[in-house]
Amino acid sequence: MQCKDIELVLEQEGLEPLPEEARVHLAECGDCRNYVADLTSLVDAAKKLPSEIAPPDRVWLSLRAQLEEEGIIRTPVDVVPVERVPFWQSIGDFFRSRALATAMVGILIVAATVFQVRRDRTAPVAPTFLAAKAALAPAPAVQKTPAPDTPPFFASAARALDDQEPVATGMILASTSPVDVSLRDNLKEVNGFIADCERHLKEQPQDELTREYLSVAYEQKAELLSAMIERGRSIN
Amino acid sequence: MCLRIMGMAAAQPRFREKPILFPLLGAGLLLWCAAPVRAAGAGQHIEKLFNVTGHPVVVIHNVANGRIEVKSWKNAQVDVVGNQSSNKIGFEIEQVGDRVDVSANVLDAAAQPLELEADLQLTVPEDTELQLKTETGLIYVEQVTGDMKLESFGGDVHLKEVSGYIIVKTTGGSLVCTQCAGKLDFSSIGGSAQILQPQLNNVNLMTTTGNILFDGDFIRTGLYSMKSGKGLVEVRFSSTDSFDLKAQTSTGVVDNQASAFLKPDSHGVKHLPSKFMHGLFGTVGMGLAKVELSSYSGTIRIMKRD
Repeated sequence: MQCKDIELVLEQEGLEPLPEEARVHLAECGDCRNYVADLTSLVDAAKKLPSEIAPPDRVWLSLRAQLEEEGIIRTPVDVVPVERVPFWQSIGDFFRSRALATAMVGILIVAATVFQVRRDRTAPVAPTFLAAKAALAPAPAVQKTPAPDTPPFFASAARALDDQEPVATGMILASTSPVDVSLRDNLKEVNGFIADCERHLKEQPQDELTREYLSVAYEQKAELLSAMIERGRSIN
Repeated sequence: MCLRIMGMAAAQPRFREKPILFPLLGAGLLLWCAAPVRAAGAGQHIEKLFNVTGHPVVVIHNVANGRIEVKSWKNAQVDVVGNQSSNKIGFEIEQVGDRVDVSANVLDAAAQPLELEADLQLTVPEDTELQLKTETGLIYVEQVTGDMKLESFGGDVHLKEVSGYIIVKTTGGSLVCTQCAGKLDFSSIGGSAQILQPQLNNVNLMTTTGNILFDGDFIRTGLYSMKSGKGLVEVRFSSTDSFDLKAQTSTGVVDNQASAFLKPDSHGVKHLPSKFMHGLFGTVGMGLAKVELSSYSGTIRIMKRD
């Protein structure tokens, strides 16, 4: 008897009693023994389940929502006036969580990279688009000005990283562990490299290779800041 | 307890009668008292053996400073040996099916760096899949053929005779890969990479400030990409190799020491370097493999090995 035959026997005849041939195969085959043991434990667990289980609340909530959506039932809704919060406050709240901020840094990097790649593939950007983009940007009063050499397509990523840098470095500022020292040194190197690439791109904005390196450097910086924040959190 | 014993000894009248013995016995008692304390703080050793079937997976997370060494054997078992410098580190080792998890955790956040050293030595079946993560210690893997992902902040990674899909990620640590086969991805900020006598058919190396050395054969149909932001990218090939070469740098230098072997690309589209960078395109042999080298401001050196 082969392993597939065992499956067939179990499917047709159940767990007990197994035919002699099957028992002989099981005695020799560890995989099939494990398979039978798994099935047995499943059946045992199933037997222990109570005959009726009260469905969790979420089932009722979802059922109710479905019925309301289909118009079968209706619930009067008390409208509570919501205090309007300025949009910059909600952005501030969002960034208050360090985990979200770290994730946001990553998203910005990806967005910047995608934007850069798309920009390469398309015709030169129309001035109207740039004007619209500038109009959509946050008010200058709240925004931190990126380094003057930062190419426009990396500006948002650079700004987000610049915002996170003091937070991340501050979290491991007092630490003298070799890892934290190494992180700080590497951040310094990456910052130096970014500044170098940005200077070069200011002179040669069409240099694809430099842009590629700059993009990678921003990613590395984001990862470094993320690692610093994680470590800082574990220390504190 | 120690002080109490000393106090009792000092109260004995015979010590007053023989004052020469007092310092000797006092010193002896001091050593006796100190001995257990030193033992408690000294290194500890742990060893566990796990039976596995099929394709084992070993996951190690070492937050302490220390070396992780993985070697293979023919047994269907994973042997884990841990040595720690103090009891301020705790090992957690568990097996779930064919997965063995090992982690070294810091138990006392106030411990000094010297007290946070933990070395791990593993012996695993050859086809074991590895996921190792450490902070500053060396990762050494030898003769393991399963896929592996190795991560380190400051520690170096040394691989010997490994194969599979190899991913190495470091912050400042360097990679030395000797006689590796399969596919290799390496990314680092400050770490360098040395690939020696490889049998790799897919290579991606990226470092921001480190150097890259590839000394070995390019397998036909293989794809090789090596990039360094500021470092040296050096490739040493043999005259029997067959590959298309594309080398580009923005502000660096391309040092072609193998111009006798590098012919203009005789197939495909004609490559022209961008006006913003220095580039070199050519073919060695039939041009079966594809080799891309680049550096932002470093040197790219191409040379024949023999």
